[in-house]
Amino acid sequence: MSAAKTLQPGEIVLDHASRAFSIRADRGGTLKELLLRRRSDGPAPIQALADVTLHIPPGQTVGIVGRNGAGKSSTLKVLAGIVPLDSGSVDIGGRIVSLLELGAGFGRDFSGRENILLGGALHGLSKAQIEEKLDDIIAFSELGDFIDVPVKTYSSGMYVRLGFAIAAHLDADVLLIDEVLAVGDEAFQRKCEARIAGQVEKGATLVLVSHDAALIERTCERVVVLDGGHVVFDGPSAEGMEYYHRQMNTPTPASIAEAGGP
Amino acid sequence: MAELKRYRYLFEQMVRRELRQKYQGSALGVAWYIVNPLVLTGAYYFMFGVVFTQTKHADYPLFLMVGLVVWIFFSQALMSAAPSLLDQGALIRKAPFPRETIPAAVVTVQMVTFLVVLGLVAVVTLVFRGSFSVWLVLLPVVLAALYVFVLGLSLAVAVLHAHFRDVAPILSAALLPWFFVSPIFFAPGDITDKATAKFVMEWVNPVAPFIEAIRRVVYDGHAPSVAGLAYVVLIAAAALAIGRTLFGRLQSELAVIV
Repeated sequence: MSAAKTLQPGEIVLDHASRAFSIRADRGGTLKELLLRRRSDGPAPIQALADVTLHIPPGQTVGIVGRNGAGKSSTLKVLAGIVPLDSGSVDIGGRIVSLLELGAGFGRDFSGRENILLGGALHGLSKAQIEEKLDDIIAFSELGDFIDVPVKTYSSGMYVRLGFAIAAHLDADVLLIDEVLAVGDEAFQRKCEARIAGQVEKGATLVLVSHDAALIERTCERVVVLDGGHVVFDGPSAEGMEYYHRQMNTPTPASIAEAGGP
Repeated sequence: MAELKRYRYLFEQMVRRELRQKYQGSALGVAWYIVNPLVLTGAYYFMFGVVFTQTKHADYPLFLMVGLVVWIFFSQALMSAAPSLLDQGALIRKAPFPRETIPAAVVTVQMVTFLVVLGLVAVVTLVFRGSFSVWLVLLPVVLAALYVFVLGLSLAVAVLHAHFRDVAPILSAALLPWFFVSPIFFAPGDITDKATAKFVMEWVNPVAPFIEAIRRVVYDGHAPSVAGLAYVVLIAAAALAIGRTLFGRLQSELAVIV
């Protein structure tokens, strides 16, 4: 797509993006299923993104909210380039850094320091680029001597601190964060927010998925409310959160059906 | 290609990690990779050099060993590449780096081990048999072709196994008979009365020309045949092309299925 070339660093364009997931207990198939074409057994696929069109200019801070299963995490995975779309397109300018699955990707037998190197390498940084940031990342993580201990001995709080410290120091043009900050203690959360604000000030785009209304209102200027894969609200965060709260207080279509209502 | 270059450091780290994990926590470490072909050599020497004394290959243990180490590299690389994408699912779900890095790192680790073991076997063979010749300069060419060949197959096997979990068991079932028809304890030239069988074993089995070429240079001290050299280079290019195409087609859903 030629549009990709004209994007500025930090710009995000989702154009009629759709993506469905089939729900299966075991995610891989077998050859037998392929030959017998039985893959369609089981529950119907879930539409995680349904014709989503979004334009996020560089430097904007966007919160994505919605019920569980509304498509928030899928949106981030699509933006991160990890999951492809069924139809439509996604284009992002510059370096994307995502903090999606907490702790995942951390070699458990390797030390915090080695995981910093791996985390940087996963995002395409060279050895020199990562080593230059190593001290800052270690300092930010507040892990002290634990930095040279295998991460399998870490508490969940230490995991997050390491993960966030890495993500926050990779010079992202687009920062994607999925509901992981809540795990750290309050002091560290404040530090993270300050760090994010600093990145945004330097021009980075932030896309944040969270159920923490206060956090969204503090950090995001724009809110996108998703429901069933559709964008149901897109606008300033104060109004967006109001919409979201109203939505949360109304019953879901599923619960109406369960109650036997019309 | 530029993408792959940007992720060179990731590849480097994966190789180093894997090497460390392989050799840590076992008392013998690297030595295991020598012990394995030695034990097999002992068994085959006993069967075909002592019990059924039909072989006309001098210094039969050395003849066996050269073929065995090539086969062990081939089979180990494929067997460890097959589950590699599933094993590294956590990394795949974390960032959109080129997924080829994972099987490529696995094959490279096996290649490093293979080169060390082959180096030892080659030195012993060259000294013991006096097979040192100018044709040794062609050995790196054959080894490079072997690496590319195995890399291509590994890309295919890894991405297929991620989609269809029965690829690894099928592969492991195929490798055993494949081993017996490969020219490891014999040379295709030993077959004198069955022309079709000889042809099949010499040219249809793509591993055979690699074993033959390496053995010609290291064990015989002769030039590999021109046809053999052309074969290994072409089959390597073909395997890589097929592996990359298949990988390219099947990789997009990896974060969802692994």
